[in-house]
Amino acid sequence: MKKLGYVAVAALALMSLLVGGCGSDKKADTASGNKLIVYTSMKENLIRGIVDGFKKANPGIEVDYQSAGAGKLMAKIAAERQSGKILADVIWTSEVPDFYKMKMDGILENYKSPVYKECVNPFDDYDGSFHAARLGTLGIIVNTDKIKNAPTQWSDLLKPEYKNKFGIANPALSGTSYMSVALLAKQFGWDYFYKLKANGARIGKGSGQVIDDTASGELYASLAVDYITHGKIEKGAHIKMCYPPELLVVPSPVAIFKDSTKKDAAKKFVDYLLGKEAQTQVAKQGTIPVREDVALPNKHFDLLKPVLAWKKAMKVNFTEAVKTKENTIKKFTEILQVKK
Amino acid sequence: MSNGIKKESSFGIAHVILFISIAVLCIFVAWPVLLILFNAFFVNGSFNSSDFYAVLTEPETFQALLNSLFIASMTTIGSTIVGTFFAWLVTRTDLPYKKFMKGLFLVPFMLPSFIGALAWKMLLSPNSGYINTFLMDLFGLQEPVFNIYTYMGISAVEVMYLFPFVFIQVCGALERMDPTLEESARISGAGLFTITRKITIPLVLPSIMSGALLIMLYSMAHFGTVAVLGIENGIYNIPTLIYEKIHQSGGSFESIRTGTVLSTVLVVTAAAIIWAQQKILSKGHYQIIGGKSFRPMELKLRGLRYPLLFACLAYIGFTIVLPTVVIFMVGGVSTYGLPLTWENMSLDNYKYILFDYEVTKDAIINSVSLGLVAALITMFAGVMISYVIVKMKVKGKGILEFLGMLPFSVPGSVIALGVILAWSGQFGINLYNTVWIILVAYIARYMAFSLKANSAALEQVHDSLMEASRSCGASMWQSLKDIVIPLVRPGMISAFFLIFLPALRELTVSIMLYAPTTRTIGVAIYTLNEDGETVMSTALAGIALILIVVGQTLINHFTKKAGE
Repeated sequence: MKKLGYVAVAALALMSLLVGGCGSDKKADTASGNKLIVYTSMKENLIRGIVDGFKKANPGIEVDYQSAGAGKLMAKIAAERQSGKILADVIWTSEVPDFYKMKMDGILENYKSPVYKECVNPFDDYDGSFHAARLGTLGIIVNTDKIKNAPTQWSDLLKPEYKNKFGIANPALSGTSYMSVALLAKQFGWDYFYKLKANGARIGKGSGQVIDDTASGELYASLAVDYITHGKIEKGAHIKMCYPPELLVVPSPVAIFKDSTKKDAAKKFVDYLLGKEAQTQVAKQGTIPVREDVALPNKHFDLLKPVLAWKKAMKVNFTEAVKTKENTIKKFTEILQVKK
Repeated sequence: MSNGIKKESSFGIAHVILFISIAVLCIFVAWPVLLILFNAFFVNGSFNSSDFYAVLTEPETFQALLNSLFIASMTTIGSTIVGTFFAWLVTRTDLPYKKFMKGLFLVPFMLPSFIGALAWKMLLSPNSGYINTFLMDLFGLQEPVFNIYTYMGISAVEVMYLFPFVFIQVCGALERMDPTLEESARISGAGLFTITRKITIPLVLPSIMSGALLIMLYSMAHFGTVAVLGIENGIYNIPTLIYEKIHQSGGSFESIRTGTVLSTVLVVTAAAIIWAQQKILSKGHYQIIGGKSFRPMELKLRGLRYPLLFACLAYIGFTIVLPTVVIFMVGGVSTYGLPLTWENMSLDNYKYILFDYEVTKDAIINSVSLGLVAALITMFAGVMISYVIVKMKVKGKGILEFLGMLPFSVPGSVIALGVILAWSGQFGINLYNTVWIILVAYIARYMAFSLKANSAALEQVHDSLMEASRSCGASMWQSLKDIVIPLVRPGMISAFFLIFLPALRELTVSIMLYAPTTRTIGVAIYTLNEDGETVMSTALAGIALILIVVGQTLINHFTKKAGE
């Protein structure tokens, strides 16, 4: 009987613990009810500063964000749409076709931010459904311990020194990677990817992973996003960014969901994001802002001013990219996936 | 509370238990699975098998299924051999420090396999793994010695961290086994080999098989290790394929439907495996606890005592200590890829993760409370359901037997999809984006563990004990309380831990269900890693390991007291 008593006490103790635990979870849930929720594919070091700045500029507005790959966020939104309510108020990723798709589905709020006329607009058919809030670039990064002569052309990746040592993030997970694949395929044809495959190119995981793998020497080179690279070099990683002349520029659109119950706060966030303060923050992290009036740090590698960068960028018809997205990913995976 | 219940009311209790059992299984397990099947075959309410067929005939689906099966088979075979051998060593031989070694072999259970996979990736990735570069430098090799991104690598890592499933089961069976059976064989002149073959192995075979089955099903539906080690080399299994498909969705429901089709494949395969196992096991059925307890006879290892002890320690050192050390060291460098030297190390990452990274606190609170609640609910539900299945003779038991098989054949990733379909508002209750949806999924996911542990314990309680108590005039409830529950309590406690600890670092289910405020520890680590914050994710993994070990030690201490 005594034993049973012990077990009962144990059970009680656990019960009280978990009631306490769940209680606090519940509180967190209701708290997020008043919070502006931002889904973004921007990494912690970029989004955190911007959200903190926004909170400082708008006391009283609580903001929470979820930073994850664009693919993951869209999967979440898919499930949330099924459930009838999208949790996020604002979405900011780099997967442009997704925004066209959402616009067609009619789930984006139409809001023409007054700040946007001060910005560089990469979208010919801009109608207020979404705004570009950053012009991300991708280049080739190399591990400086392993590669002495930095590549200057896309075709350099077909050289034997990169045999089995070049990686691209999985386009299914990473929006920037998907856009890069679409752009490169348009510019050089799928043939280029067949050649890459022949040289043993690998599919990595997320856009940050390939950079870490390059820094560790697992890969000698990879296709990498500017500000993530910048952050890693800042921390001492032995990598270097190289931009071939055909520039990969991927606009990162920001949009507000029609279902949002906090539209005023969301609009303020979009305005803030396009404003000088946030864009300075964007530039400081090592990526191209959408404002000409923001200075670029150009500490570890040289970024172009937004207008010039967009002029030099490889272009793709976004509306078309929506239709071909699935096929592009499929084709890419077909070519690069290792067949066992 | 129910000492006053009279004999005739036992019929009522039996039916209440049966009813609750069926309800629990239906709500938590059957309903989500039905929805999966429904969505796989029905589009907008009308039957549509062509989509199903289209997904099914994709070569990648077939390949993923093969991969799932292949990796799971290798893992199962490896884990069964390793687990059974070590179990035998610590229970039936005179290995030095047996008790300590037994505890040590449970340690791998604490190390989440995907954290292990992260560590092994750092140690054995072909071009930069620390062991590989060390060996290449040492012998001046041009090619890496090991490649962890292979089927072998994935299975080996899974074996390292999954073998305790078999180990625990076999240890329990060997300890509880009536040694008089072996002794009588010995007295009748049988040699050690004959005894092992004819007595010991048949007696512990059910335990070995049930452990192996758990591993097979677990591995087949396992996300973490394959996601960390396989994807880059194009090795997908069904769960990673579902994960990836869903992430190609671009916000549409189509890919979720593709997921339901893949899930159906997984469920059918799992069911087939269970059916095969049942077929094999139905041949021999033993009740091996006779209500008495003996000290089992020990085999003298003689000259092999210390070499074997050394081998065990080396195994633990290699599979546990080495990866753990790597996790803690990499968690200390400022960015991944820097050499692991003192000048590159600092506590900054740990400080950031502990105090500045808001997700950490949320994740720990979420995982601990989810684990506790899920383990408690599942433990009690499990003992109730297994009692009905194993011991009771009531009408309607057949339904329960069928439903009781379901949790075994429904892998984690399928459950995750199922609960999304079931609990996200279409049917009145919307739990999506709350911790409750993860709790519901955990209960469904771990029901199998609880049923397994509890029914194993119940099966070994001889019917005669209950019959004796009933014939002496005890009520149904009295004999349950005074005879059955005390005897199966070890089973219940082991069910609790079989659930609580895995739930603490669960990844497969939570990765599909988390929301900004409901990340679990596993999700937090995995997403950090996937987002390329390798050093941060290992720092968090290190903190999680400390948490798990401390928790386990506390609980061990606590339950030892309660169990004595």
